[in-house]
Amino acid sequence: MTQTSISTRTAFFAKHRASLGVLLLLILMPFIVGLFNGASPATVFVNGNGQSKFIQGLAIEIFILALYALSFDLIFGITGMLSFGHSMFFSVGAYLTGIAIKSFGLSLPATLGWLVIAAIIQALLFGMVLPRVKGITFALVTLGIASVFHIVVMSSELGPYTGSDVGLQGVIVPDFISPANERLRFYFIALTVLILVYLLYQRFVNSPTGRVCIAIRENEGRAQMLGYNTFYFKLAALTISSLTAALAGFLHTLYQPIVSPNTAGLGFTVTALLILLIGGVGTLNGALVGAVVFRLLDYGLRRYIGESASFISGAVYVLFVLFIPYGIVGTWRLKSFQIKQGWERLLGLFR
Amino acid sequence: MVHRPRSTVYLEGIMDNEIIFETKNLTKQFGALVAVDDVSIKVRKNSLHAIIGPNGAGKTTFFNLLSGNIEPTSGSVIFKGRDITHQPVHRTIHYGIGRSFQITNIFPNLTVFENIRLAAQALGRDNFKFWQAASQFKQYEARTLEVIEKVGLKDRAQTLARTLPHGDQRKLELGIILAPDPEVLLLDEPTAGMAAEQVPELIALIQDIQKAGDKTVMLVEHNMNVVMSVSDAITVMHMGKVLAEGTPSEIAANKEVQTAYLGGLYELNV
Ligand SMILES: Nc1ncnc2c1ncn2[C@@H]1O[C@H](COP(=O)(O)OP(=O)(O)O)[C@@H](O)[C@H]1O
Ligand SMILES: [Mg+2]
Repeated sequence: MTQTSISTRTAFFAKHRASLGVLLLLILMPFIVGLFNGASPATVFVNGNGQSKFIQGLAIEIFILALYALSFDLIFGITGMLSFGHSMFFSVGAYLTGIAIKSFGLSLPATLGWLVIAAIIQALLFGMVLPRVKGITFALVTLGIASVFHIVVMSSELGPYTGSDVGLQGVIVPDFISPANERLRFYFIALTVLILVYLLYQRFVNSPTGRVCIAIRENEGRAQMLGYNTFYFKLAALTISSLTAALAGFLHTLYQPIVSPNTAGLGFTVTALLILLIGGVGTLNGALVGAVVFRLLDYGLRRYIGESASFISGAVYVLFVLFIPYGIVGTWRLKSFQIKQGWERLLGLFR
Repeated sequence: MVHRPRSTVYLEGIMDNEIIFETKNLTKQFGALVAVDDVSIKVRKNSLHAIIGPNGAGKTTFFNLLSGNIEPTSGSVIFKGRDITHQPVHRTIHYGIGRSFQITNIFPNLTVFENIRLAAQALGRDNFKFWQAASQFKQYEARTLEVIEKVGLKDRAQTLARTLPHGDQRKLELGIILAPDPEVLLLDEPTAGMAAEQVPELIALIQDIQKAGDKTVMLVEHNMNVVMSVSDAITVMHMGKVLAEGTPSEIAANKEVQTAYLGGLYELNV
């Protein structure tokens, strides 16, 4: 091996030290948690019940939420389109997965194939209104579209397929990915999907296309004057976002015993918004950090406080927006910049 | 027919293929206000053509019509013999028409480099290569560096646009439209709000670009000394209408212009 390739490798590890550390931790986590509870890695490996299995479950939910929040960050945080109908992107994926498996007996690959088609269609549906409406009008129109979908899945006529207001249940998940018996495998599949999507998003944001999306967020009129037909870039962002959210919905249906119609409601769009506000809008990392904080806060409050949990979590979000307006990642980036500057000033005193 | 002096030497014997821009009875109304009123002008290829007139005369609105930012109420815009009146605004630069704004119009939260790089990338064929990093397209980065150097922002490449001093923002505004190397530059008060000592430098740069690159420049500018010394032709607008057009000396000698606009304040010092 040549000297340069070794040093580029070292540089790669040095640059991504933090990310690689987190990755290693996530890979080992099920086993570490097991050890703390006196379960050997072998027990964890065969999906024995216990604390590790529970934590894996919580982590899977966080991975799915993070995927969903990432997809919202792409259109809202990166491209600057505020959609109030984002939950529909997720919910269509979730319901379609359930219906394809339960009512039509489709295999997982076939289901995924239909999901891709549906995701593209719904991105086009949202995209259709783009040339006509901007800003808050876009938010309201997308809310309108999603509300129609919400009403449709709740309707009693579709009960045999969607389960109406009760929700869709009784989806038989193939054994090899069963969340009950093969949870560790499910954990690693969800983790892998999240990492791949995250890397794809990082690349997208730094690609010629993503840079234009950022330009659209910053000053759409100027972007058009530069010669970009901004419609196609927004459509690209919507399509990738829709595919991602549908994938999150797919995993959700496989993992959860029931798909609630709440996943189609405005509340679930607000969840995505809250996650980004907590983690940092337009940072991508913020979607991941935000999903962790959001889910753990929700879990912790419910467990230790119970009834009034949602009231307290509401207050926590308000405090977040007031005191950490750029979210955790956004604020950290500003701070680390300031810390660096402060450090340099300090060093300057001794020169 | 409305009285419109057309007897300028500037357009004498002009051939059709020497006209790069032409407007025919171009009119824009905002409600009851006629901001641009029946304007028909011809712009000679490779010339520096100034548009002057008091505030509110309709100069910016006229530029907006040329660049496709707004649709006219009536009339048409012909570019190189082709009617572009109803083309969408994102086509403008593809025809070779670059437009800068009186009120700085940049990407405030992006760096100087990225502002110009985006402009350089726009006309390439790589806009939808979302699986590749933007930094892999060296041709746009090279062009960006070239332009940054040209407008004198080399030391500021990594500065966020919004933190630039006003004069540098004006340079960036110019850099953004230079990057795609358009044939025609529509410059709306490029020196607006600049410190007086920075003005000659920018004007010299604009002249350089026009002469060296066989380009046509249409310039809105308030400084009469500048206008008189750099222009090949001048169109004077007043209340939306063309009050006069001609060479600098024709304009300076025009009685109507003297009373309506120059008000005797400007004296031609040649
Ligand atoms: N979008 C608009 N809506 C209504 N009135 C406008 C608009 N843009 C310009 N105007 C009016 O049109 C007239 C010409 O303005 P403008 O073209 O900016 O003049 P100039 O650039 O010569 O100073 C002014 O009276 C201005 O108030
Ligand atoms: Mg103006």
